This record gives sequence, structure tokens and C-alpha cells, in this order.
Amino acid sequence: MEVAANPALSNAALARRREMLLTLRRIGLPVAAAALFLLVWEAGTRWANIPEVLLPPPSAVLDRLVRNFPLLMTHAWPTIWQSLAGFAIATVLGIVLASLLSASTLIRETLYPNVVFFQLIPKIALAPLFVVWFGLGPEARLSFSVFVSFFPVVIATLAGLDNVERDLLRLCRALTASSWQTFVSVRLPHAVPYIFSGMKIASTFAIIGVIVGEFITSRVGLGYLILFASAQAETALILAAICVLCVFGLAFYGVVAVAEKWTIRIFGDAPR
Amino acid sequence: MNEPRLPEKTAPADSAVPWLHPRPIAPDRNQAYLSLRHARKVYQTRSGDVEAVGLADFDIEAGEFVSILGPSGCGKSTLLSMVGGLEPVTEGEIFLEGTRVNAPRRDFGYIFQDPTLLPWKTVLDNVLFPIHTQKRQVADYEAEAHRLLEMVGLADFKAKRPRELSGGMRQRVALCRGLINDPKLLLMDEPFSALDAISRDDMNLALVRLWDKYHKTALFVTHSIREAVFLADRVLVMTARPSRIVADLKLPFARPRDVTVQETPEFNRICAWLREQIQAGYGRPAGPG
Repeated sequence: MEVAANPALSNAALARRREMLLTLRRIGLPVAAAALFLLVWEAGTRWANIPEVLLPPPSAVLDRLVRNFPLLMTHAWPTIWQSLAGFAIATVLGIVLASLLSASTLIRETLYPNVVFFQLIPKIALAPLFVVWFGLGPEARLSFSVFVSFFPVVIATLAGLDNVERDLLRLCRALTASSWQTFVSVRLPHAVPYIFSGMKIASTFAIIGVIVGEFITSRVGLGYLILFASAQAETALILAAICVLCVFGLAFYGVVAVAEKWTIRIFGDAPR
Repeated sequence: MNEPRLPEKTAPADSAVPWLHPRPIAPDRNQAYLSLRHARKVYQTRSGDVEAVGLADFDIEAGEFVSILGPSGCGKSTLLSMVGGLEPVTEGEIFLEGTRVNAPRRDFGYIFQDPTLLPWKTVLDNVLFPIHTQKRQVADYEAEAHRLLEMVGLADFKAKRPRELSGGMRQRVALCRGLINDPKLLLMDEPFSALDAISRDDMNLALVRLWDKYHKTALFVTHSIREAVFLADRVLVMTARPSRIVADLKLPFARPRDVTVQETPEFNRICAWLREQIQAGYGRPAGPG
């Protein structure tokens, strides 16, 4: 109303202002809701006198985060590098396996039903097996992280390689392109947006894989720290470790999502 | 369906009209540029054999632009695929300059109903795509790509990606891509039928202009009578059930061709006659004869 009352503003300026208000609203509302939640949490725990072991107020968690920052970082590092490495290996493996499945009917008929079957079993339940196979070192966590996170990449990549428009494949055939040429110049670029949507899922799965591995075996890592803190009834430390984990997970996912946005501009969007 | 026989082509009802005379097939068919000899396509389905293309038996001269006109489902696209080597013939043979066509060839150009451009490549790279896949020297064709794009009015869009172009512009790119390898035969499968009427008129004009300069041998499949007549030197009419070529006529219009040809009485008479042929095809009883 105020805006409309100002005759000096041009239509373009009005539109710009409306856009800005909308953006502000889109960001502001969820942030305000989160802030309100934290405020209620803080006030609630104080007012109801909830013991810190049960539920520490956010201020206590923040205090812990600042005081124990070096400790948290020592434990964050192994978790971070194992997640990143697991994710990278899973992406490469996933793309290679999907390419094989898409290239050969024989391989596909043999393996694809098994891939789908493996996708269905709760993979977390297999974590102890990896300890049996790979011992107590980082290899167990890394390999489990790869195992958990590569399925989404396989499925998404395969969809991208297969969903090429029939006419494009006809064109390749009409141009006497070999199947390798068709793969490299049409199928693979077409799959890029799909691969990224698989990678987004894989980025979260890779962290889950490492944390679960750390729960089971490790003497380092955020997963271990969480378990250790819970044994000591250090609830604030648990939440502080989770905070670090959240920040890392968000940044990781964010980087992949930004990379996806960037490739979509070139390769086009995958249908959802 | 037994023993398919060749249908009689174009009964010359009115011999005073010169374009109504049926085109005789040359006695020595090995001299023909493109020759379809009793080509037939039958699909085997669970409910029996389905004849997609009845009998196609005609020759095409070098440099001739031939429209294949017919209602949807008459097998004209399948016929084109057979000529392009994308679909095997069930019976009969297809020859280009005396060599049998049974697989796609490097020296063919293909244009589909959809532009089928690669969205991640620029307009220029899309035009050069056949050169890349056919492992030709890209440097030898770059100048030609620029020339073609300029000819269809896309000089300023070479570095753009397909998504930034309108439907008509994309199909122009496809047209250039079809011509980049200087094909011996250009096969066009309803290339403009997905466009709106105005873009379609535009494209027809662009194609006619291109033909004034190029004189390529071309097969153009369409279900638009006016488009078929405006573009071609010769029109083959196909009917569905049975799938047959029922008329074959040489058009009397000279090149370079102008839009105004569409307003001449002759143009409209030919269109009316072709419409009759297509409609008569619907009333035809199924089966040979």
C-alpha cells in the first residue's frame, strides 16, 4: 500500500521492490521459524528446569562448541575426508557400473536385477560385515561409505543413459555413429544432470555410511565422539558434534547442488 | 493378403492437362539415381502380419525434390526409413546409383520431425555434429557450416545453445546439419509438422530458397498438400490400408520458386486433384487390386 502510494516509483522499481520483498520472505520466514524454535527450546529448558543431561539449552551447546572446538575438529577431520573419499569413489564406481549395464544387454540382464535387489535390503545392517572384512581401520568405514552411497549414482546414471530420446539415437544411427561414439557424444552428456541428482543423494549417504562405521568400530571421528559423549552423559557434546556434522553435511550437499545448477545450464535439466 | 500387385498409377482422366500424365518408369532402371524396386515392409505382430508399406516401385532422378504425400499411418515414414537404411526392407530392393542400400550411409542427410539437437552443444557444433561422428576433418567443413547458417538467417546465433532458439530456428539448425556433409540424398521426415503455421510457412520458404541454390536429391515426407506441392518437383501420393502409391505427378512450376506460385490457379487445381486422390484412397476397399 505504501509502495503504491509513492508516485515517484516507476513500474520497474515497483517490480524490483516486490521481488526483493518476496526473496526476503522466502529466506526470512524459515529463518525466523528456526530462531523461534531455538528460543522456545532455550526458554523451555530454563523455565521447566530440565536437567542438562536430558536436554541442554542451545546456549549450553554453543558454549560447548566453542570450548571444545579443537577436540571437535580433531574428530571431524577423519569423518570429513572419509565421507569425501567415499563419495568420490562411489561416484566413479557408480558411473562405470551404470555404463557397463547400459552398454551390454548381457551384463544388464545378469546384474541389474541384483543391483535392484541390493538396493532393497537395509544396507546399514551389513555394516558389521565390513568390519569383519576390512578390520578396525579407516578402510572399513570408507568401503562401507562407498557401498552405501554408490547405489543412487548407479540408478540415476542408468536412467540418464537410457532416457535419451529415440530420435537422437536414430540420428546417431543415420549418421553411422558407432555405439562407443553414441555413448560418448550423446548418452553420457545426456546423463550428466541425472548423475548429479544421484550425486546429491550420494553425498548424504556417504556421511551416513562413515558415521555408522564410526559407531561400530572407530576410536576417532564424529560418530565415535557422539557415542563416547553419550556414554559419558555429555549431551551438550553430542549436540555440538551433531552441529559440526550438520555444517559439514550442508556445505557438502551445497557444493554438489551448486555444481549441479551449473551443469544444468549447459546440459539441460533431468526430468523429475 | 496374397500376391501384391502394383496399383495402376494416376489414371489420366483428362489428358488435356499435361501434369496428369503418369510418369513412365525408364526401361533401364540401373540408370536411375535412386531406385525402389517392389520395396515392401511387413511387420509381424501377434495378430498377424501388418503391411506397413505395400509396394513402392519408383525411380528418382538426380537433383529431384520428391514429396511423399499421404495421411498419417500410410507408411510414408517407414518408406523413408527404408530408403535411409534405418529399416530393413521385407521384400524388394533399394538402389542408389546402382549400389544397394541396406544400412545407413555416410553420404545421406536426415531431418526428423523433431530437431533432435544436442542441448549441450552450440548451434555451430550441432551443425558440425555429423562431421565429428563421421570422423571427417572438421576444418574442411567449418566454412560450409557458417555459410549454411547464414543462408537460413542464423548468422547471429552460431554460439547460442538450442534452448535459446525458437522451434522454427531449431529446425533450421537441423536443416543445416542435414546438409553439412553435402549428402547425395536428403531424407526429410515431416520436418515442419511440429511447427506453428507461420513458422512452417517460413521454413517452407527457407527450404525453397535453399533448393534454388543446392539442387540436392531429396525425399520429403509430409501430410500437407500445399507444402508438398510448393516444395517439390514431383509428388507421390500414398494411401493407407492398403499402403500404396496411387499417384505420381511431375509439377510444372519452375525454379527459382516464389511464394506467389501458391496463388496461381494451377497450383490450386493440382492441390484439389491431390486431395481427391487422397480421399479416394480412404474409400478404397482393403486388399490388393
